[in-house]
Amino acid sequence: MSLASLESSRTEAAQAVSLSGLSKAYGPIEALAPLSLTVAAGETVAILGPSGSGKTTLLLLLSGQLGPSSGAVTLVGREIAQLSPGKELAQLVGMIHQQFDLVPNISALHNVLAGRLGEWGLFKSLVSLVWPQDRPMGMEALARVGVADRAELRAGRLSGGEQQRVAIARLLLQDPAIVLADEPVASLDQARAGEVIRLLVRIARDSGKTLISSMHSVELARAHFDRLIGLRNGIVQFDLPSSQVADDMLLALYDIKGLRRED
Amino acid sequence: MSTVPEIHRFTSIRPPKVTFIGATAIAALGLIVGSWVFVLGADRVQSQPFFSVETLERGGRFLQALLGIGSSSTPAFAQWAAWQDTARLAYQTLAMSVLAIGIAALIALATFMFGASNIMRGELAPYRSWVWGSGFFVVRAFYTFTRAIPELVWAMLIIFMFAPGLLPGALALGIHNAGVLGKLSSEVVEGLDTRPLLALRSSGAGRFQVLAYGVLPQALPRFITYLFYRWELIIRTTIVVGFVAAGGLGLEFRLSMSYFHYTTVTLLLIWYLVLVVAVDLIAAVLRRMAR
Repeated sequence: MSLASLESSRTEAAQAVSLSGLSKAYGPIEALAPLSLTVAAGETVAILGPSGSGKTTLLLLLSGQLGPSSGAVTLVGREIAQLSPGKELAQLVGMIHQQFDLVPNISALHNVLAGRLGEWGLFKSLVSLVWPQDRPMGMEALARVGVADRAELRAGRLSGGEQQRVAIARLLLQDPAIVLADEPVASLDQARAGEVIRLLVRIARDSGKTLISSMHSVELARAHFDRLIGLRNGIVQFDLPSSQVADDMLLALYDIKGLRRED
Repeated sequence: MSTVPEIHRFTSIRPPKVTFIGATAIAALGLIVGSWVFVLGADRVQSQPFFSVETLERGGRFLQALLGIGSSSTPAFAQWAAWQDTARLAYQTLAMSVLAIGIAALIALATFMFGASNIMRGELAPYRSWVWGSGFFVVRAFYTFTRAIPELVWAMLIIFMFAPGLLPGALALGIHNAGVLGKLSSEVVEGLDTRPLLALRSSGAGRFQVLAYGVLPQALPRFITYLFYRWELIIRTTIVVGFVAAGGLGLEFRLSMSYFHYTTVTLLLIWYLVLVVAVDLIAAVLRRMAR
């Protein structure tokens, strides 16, 4: 995607995410300095930064799992604090973690179908544990992420890469407007990591979803995401289209010296 | 100020550390020596010494009686008819144990999630009310109560309500084991990895759906393992509740002892061996299927 089209989409398209003066402090420690930014619908954003820079804190704030110390998160025009934490929030935002997203004792298919739980009543979800409901939908999602042949296996038996694919398939059924990912491939080997990130980004683009992912690998982030945000000590260092992020910016971002902030 | 590092160096020298294993070994050795001193020495003040010719002779005679040595009649365990008679009792005992574990499993399965603190009072709680939270204490108190009273005592109490037979025995065993199974299973739930559960929650599952899709599937394999373990235990405990007229091999065991039918006692013990081995095998097969 060219810079021009990115710029235009950022101004014209509906805003998926809007942060105004968002900050988070854990006691006296400021994890995230006041931050204001917007993410357009359909944009793919990678958040980079060394450990402890506030990447996970930002994602938790975006997913509503953590309340901010100040400021507000607006998702698709609705303030997150006004949304009920269950189904309503799940329609707007879905999250994938580094690992342990799946229930290990039930099949991959059941894990995927769990993405429908927000739509199903309690009775239907109980019935589904015995006779899987919406099975074609689940199988289609598994096929899209390339693990249809693993549908009947217990999730705990799958490899790390396959588990992340199943977690992505569950997101497909959950169908949120915004997908958040917290280092989704950090526990995978390089080849697997590349495949899974390509898949995640492609699916987000194909279905017009907004993807915001913290990334451990700079190469993967640069190669696949539209926009990179560099975080260090809770402060945004740069927020640019991937093509404009220079090597020295990345070096400065991860530089060991001066990492410890002076109070 | 040259003494400061001096003191520092001094305090950093520690006496040789007694490890946990070392201390345990010393304590065990002390107990072994002490108890033998008691048995061989101090016990002489009692009327019966531990080692004596009489004890040995009595033991030998009883063993001979069990094996039917020195008796004119054929020992019970060598009679086909006796095997046939007792087979019916063994079947009853097995039936009692199955009924008992069924009762225990039903009660435990229906309640164990409500005995887990993380579901009732912690991060997985569907409701934040004190009514819901106090349910935890009700369930746990029920487990403690049923578990604290031994099977035999439950049997003695229940016999008052029912006529003697298999059902009161099974009830007694079932109630006691419901408490044991429930507590063990609740603790499994408390120890579950919450990350998949929170992920389910964030993908739109309601709190009860999280219980059905996250908690139950993760707890069930352990529940089944405990279930088979308790079943094997119940088989052995039927002999005890049998003493108070709760049918099966246990009742026959007491009667045979009373009537000095020692070879029948041997036969019954063989049956117990058969039952325990059989239950072990069945449990192993079922566990593999459940895995």
